[in-house]
Amino acid sequence: MAISKEVYKVLEAIVGEEYLSSDPVVCEGYRSGPSGYEAGLGYERVMTKIPGCVILPLTTEEVQKIVRVCNRYKVPYVPYSTGWYGPRSHCHVDDELLIDLKRMDDFEIDEKHLYAVVGSGVIYSQLQEEAMKRGMYIIVGGGGSQCSAIANMIGDGWSPLSYRIGLPHRRILGTELVLPDGELVEMGSLALQDDPFWGDGLGPDLRGLLRGFTGLRGCLGIVTKMAIKLMPFQPERLEPAGISPHTSLQLPVNRVKWINFTMPSKESMKTAMFEMARAEIGAGVTKVPIFWRAIAKASCKEEYWDIWSKESEETIRDFHLLRVLLVGFGSEEQMEYEERVLNDIITEIGGEARRTRPTDESWFKNADSAGMWLMCGGYVSVDYVIETLEHALPHGENYAELKKKFTPPLMPDYGDPGWFQSFELGHQGYSEFLVYWDPDENTDGVDQFYLETSKENIRKRFYTSLLGPHQPLYLTGPAYGPNYHKWMLAVKDEFDPNFLSHPPVPLAHDEFVEKAEWMRPMKDWEGPQITK
Amino acid sequence: MTVKTKLREIVGPDNFFDDPEVLSTYSRDFSLAPAGVPNYVVKPKTVEEVQKVVQLANKNRLPVVPTSSLVHFNGAAIPKQGGVIVDLTRMNRILEIDEFNRRVRMEAGVTWEQATKALAKKGFRLMMPLSPHPMRSAVTDHLEREVITNTVYDYGEPLQSMEVVWPTGEIFRTGSASVAGYPDSPSKGGNPSGPGLDFYRLLQGAQGTMGIVTWANLKIEYMTTMDRVLFSPVEDLGYTIDFLHRILRLRVGQECLLLDNTDLAALAAESWPEDFEELRATLPPWTLILVLSGMARRPEEKLKYEENILKDIIKNEFSEIHLEQNLPGFPGMGRKLLPLLRQPWPRKTPYWKNRYLGGCQSLFFITRPAMAPQFIDLMEEVAAQYGYPVDDIGGYIQPIEHNRACQVQFDFFYDPDSEVDMELVRSLYRDVSSVLASEGALFTRPYGELADLVYESATGYATALRRVKKVFDPNNIMNPGTLCY
Repeated sequence: MAISKEVYKVLEAIVGEEYLSSDPVVCEGYRSGPSGYEAGLGYERVMTKIPGCVILPLTTEEVQKIVRVCNRYKVPYVPYSTGWYGPRSHCHVDDELLIDLKRMDDFEIDEKHLYAVVGSGVIYSQLQEEAMKRGMYIIVGGGGSQCSAIANMIGDGWSPLSYRIGLPHRRILGTELVLPDGELVEMGSLALQDDPFWGDGLGPDLRGLLRGFTGLRGCLGIVTKMAIKLMPFQPERLEPAGISPHTSLQLPVNRVKWINFTMPSKESMKTAMFEMARAEIGAGVTKVPIFWRAIAKASCKEEYWDIWSKESEETIRDFHLLRVLLVGFGSEEQMEYEERVLNDIITEIGGEARRTRPTDESWFKNADSAGMWLMCGGYVSVDYVIETLEHALPHGENYAELKKKFTPPLMPDYGDPGWFQSFELGHQGYSEFLVYWDPDENTDGVDQFYLETSKENIRKRFYTSLLGPHQPLYLTGPAYGPNYHKWMLAVKDEFDPNFLSHPPVPLAHDEFVEKAEWMRPMKDWEGPQITK
Repeated sequence: MTVKTKLREIVGPDNFFDDPEVLSTYSRDFSLAPAGVPNYVVKPKTVEEVQKVVQLANKNRLPVVPTSSLVHFNGAAIPKQGGVIVDLTRMNRILEIDEFNRRVRMEAGVTWEQATKALAKKGFRLMMPLSPHPMRSAVTDHLEREVITNTVYDYGEPLQSMEVVWPTGEIFRTGSASVAGYPDSPSKGGNPSGPGLDFYRLLQGAQGTMGIVTWANLKIEYMTTMDRVLFSPVEDLGYTIDFLHRILRLRVGQECLLLDNTDLAALAAESWPEDFEELRATLPPWTLILVLSGMARRPEEKLKYEENILKDIIKNEFSEIHLEQNLPGFPGMGRKLLPLLRQPWPRKTPYWKNRYLGGCQSLFFITRPAMAPQFIDLMEEVAAQYGYPVDDIGGYIQPIEHNRACQVQFDFFYDPDSEVDMELVRSLYRDVSSVLASEGALFTRPYGELADLVYESATGYATALRRVKKVFDPNNIMNPGTLCY
C-alpha cells in the first residue's frame, strides 16, 4: 500500500510541506549505494528499496508525532541520519517512510563537565573539531568523520584510540529515545531534569535497549538527542595541513606522537600490547595491516589493485608493523616518561623504531573508511570483534583460512589474519577482518563468505559483533546467550507490536537468505516464520 | 508435593530453612528499612539449583529475593511480599583469575575479603568503593554501581560479562560469555556488550528485580609498585573542587576523594572512642586525599612527573592548596589510609560506618561537583531543623570520571537500640532526600522509599522500565515491591 494522501496530509501538518516529499527524484536520492560500505552486494540488491516518502523533522516532538501517525496508519518507517552504514540503514520494504534526521543538528558543549549534547544530524567531524578546540577529544569511529555521532555511538564507534578512552557504550550519557510506538524515554539524568550530564539509569539502566554491541539499526526506536562523554586531551593544537585528498594533521610532537615499530613476529606485537597495558602507557596501539599501506599509496582503484597484487605470502608473513600513539595528557614530561617505557618494552621484545611522520592522516579526525571504499571498489568487514587479545589472534587466523574458499571473488590477502589491537588498556582485544572485491565481478561469494563466518564463529565458539540485525537472527540466536533472539524479539514485540520500525530488521538477514537463491542452499537452521 | 517439599528437594535438607529464627535473620539489615519476613530460605550451590528454584517460584508465583551476602545497607534484600530468599553465599568460588586479560570471574557469593586476598597473591587488585564491608559481595557491589575511589582509568566500569538466571528460570550469559560452551572457548568474557541487546545494563542497579546473577567477570588491575598518599586540608570546598577539575583531567593520581572530619575519623581511628573523638575534633572540616602511584616500569619517574604537574598547577593557579605527604598534625595518616583504600575494611573491627553509634544510614546521589557545597548546606539546614547535630554527620565526596561528576554521600549515625534515634534519622533521611531531589540531586540508585520519590518524577522512565520488566518477569516474582514494580 502506498502512503496515502490522507497520511501525507497528516505528516505535512507536522513538519510543513517543505520538509516532506514523495517526489521520485527526492526519494531516489535515498537509494542505498552506489558506493560505500557493503554496497553492491546481494543484501543491498535484494533487501533495499527507495523510500515511498521522505520526511525531515526538526524536533523530538515532531519525531514522536510522525511515529504515532505511522502506528495509526500502519506505515513502516526507518530512521536515517547520514546513511553511511550502507544498505542496512536504508529502506527495506515498499512505500516506507524515511525519517531523515539531519535537521536535528543542535549541538552544545559543556567543557567543564566533559560532554557534548548533540542531535542526530551532528557528525563526528564537527564534534571532534569543537572538542579539540576546548582541549578534549573523542573517538571518530571507523565509519568515518562524516557519520552521525549518535548513529555511530549506538552502533559501532571505536578505533585504535579506544585503547585508552573506552568503548562507546561507556560514553553515552543522558539520551532521548523515541520508542517505536511514539512514547519518549529519557535516560540518565534527563529522566529527572533538563540536564543530560549523567548516563546511568534510575535503577536498571535502559541504555541496554540502545546498542547490544553493534546496534539495532533503528528497529527499536529513534535516538533524537544524546550527551556524549568527551575525554580530556592535551592543550596544543593539531594543525590541518595539505590539500584534499592528501590532508593530515600536523602533530605537536612534544605532546602527541605516532611511532611505528617493526616487530619480529605477530606474537611479539601481542606481547608489546600486553606490556604497554601492564605499564599503563600509551593512548593508542594497533597492528598495521599491510594493505593499509597500499590504500595510502594508491590514488585510484586500478593503482590500488596494481600495488596490492605485488604482495605475496612471503611479504605478508614477514610484515609486522606496530603503530603506537603517545600523548602527553598531563605534560611533556609525561610524554618523555612514556616514550622511555615504550622503548624499554620494544627493545626487550626485539622491535625497532622506524622513522614516522609527525602527522595523523586518519584516526583523530577522519577515520579511513571512505578512503578504503574508494580505493578498493568494494569493502565490508565480515567481522569486527571486541573480546580479548587471546581471542583476537586466532579469530583472524581462522578467518584467513576460511576465506581461501571464497577467493576469488574476494581480494587475495595472502594469508593476512586481519587487523588486531588492544582496547581498554589491555582488558580487551579487537580483531577486524576486512574483505575487498572488484565490484565488476560476481559477488555471490562475498555474501556467502559473510554468512559462512557466522557459522564458523558458532562452530569455533568465537564471539562476534555481527549479531542481532547483521546475520540471520535464527542462526545466531540459539547459539549465543543462548537464545538471545527470543529476548530481543520479545522486547521488540513489547515496544513495536506493529513491527513498523525498520522492518524486517532484526529479521532482515533471515529474509535475505530466503529470498536470494545463491544463499538458500546455505540455510541449515530452523525458522523463522516471517509473517510480519 | 508442596512448594516447601520441592524447595527442600532441590537444595537438600541442609540448605533449606523455614525455622522462624533463621527467617528473622533475613528480615532486617543495616538500614532503617521496614522489616519483612520470607517464607523460606534456600542456599543453592549451583546455577542449576538456582534455576530449579526460580522455575518453581515462577510456576507458583512465589516472590524470589536473591541475596549474595548477609551484609546489606539499603534494604534491597529485605522481602517486601514474603517468598523465598535465594541466599548465594555458598556460591563463593573464584572461578578464574586470568592474568593475561586482567579479569577475574567469580561467583556472586565471593566477598571483598576473599577476592582481594586471592588477587593480591597474584599481584592484582580490584577497583573498590570506599572501604567496603569485608563480607559483602564484590559482584553485587559492581552490579549495584557502587562508585569506585579510583578516577584515572578512562574506560571506567569494571563489570564485564555475567551469567544470569532470568525470572522464567532460563540460564543466560551476557556479552562475550554468551558463546556456546563458555568458558571452554576462545572467547573469555571480556566484552560486556550484547548479544543483541546490552542485557548487562538491565541487570545493573536492578536490586535483584531482573534476575539472579550467579557469576560475573570483573576487570582487575596490577598492584602498584610505589605509592605516595597526599593530603590537603580543605579551607574552601568550592576552590578544592575547581582544583580537582584542573588536575584530574590530566590523569594524575589513582584514588582521589574528599572526606569530612567525621568520616575520616571513623575510618582512621585506632583506639575507640578516644581516638575517634580526638581526630574528629582536630581534623580539618574536609580533607582532600590523592594517591599517586608508580606502575611496573620506572615507577619513580612516573611519580616525579605527576608531582611536577601538581607542583606547577599549585604554584601558578591554586596557591591555597597545600598537598603534602602528611596531614599537618596527623603523622602516619598516609600509612593508615592506603590499606583502607586498597583493601576492604578489616573483619575483626566493627565496620567503620557502624563504629560510632552502631547504626548508620547513608544517603548518596550524583551531582555536578560544583553543586556539592550547596547540597551540603541544604542538608545541614534540614538536619538543624531536626536538632540532629551537624558535626555528627559524615560526609564524603567522590569525584567521578575526571571530576566531570561526583557522588556525594551523607552518613547519618544513630543508635540502633534507640527507637527515638532511629525514627529521627528515618524522618531526617526522608526530608533531606526530598529537599535535595527538588534541587537536582540525582538518586540513580533509588533504594527503599527513594524509589517512589524518583519514579514519581520520572514517569516516562518508570513506564518503560515496567514494560521491560514485564518481558523478562511476566509474573513479577523477582523482588516484588522494589523500585517501581
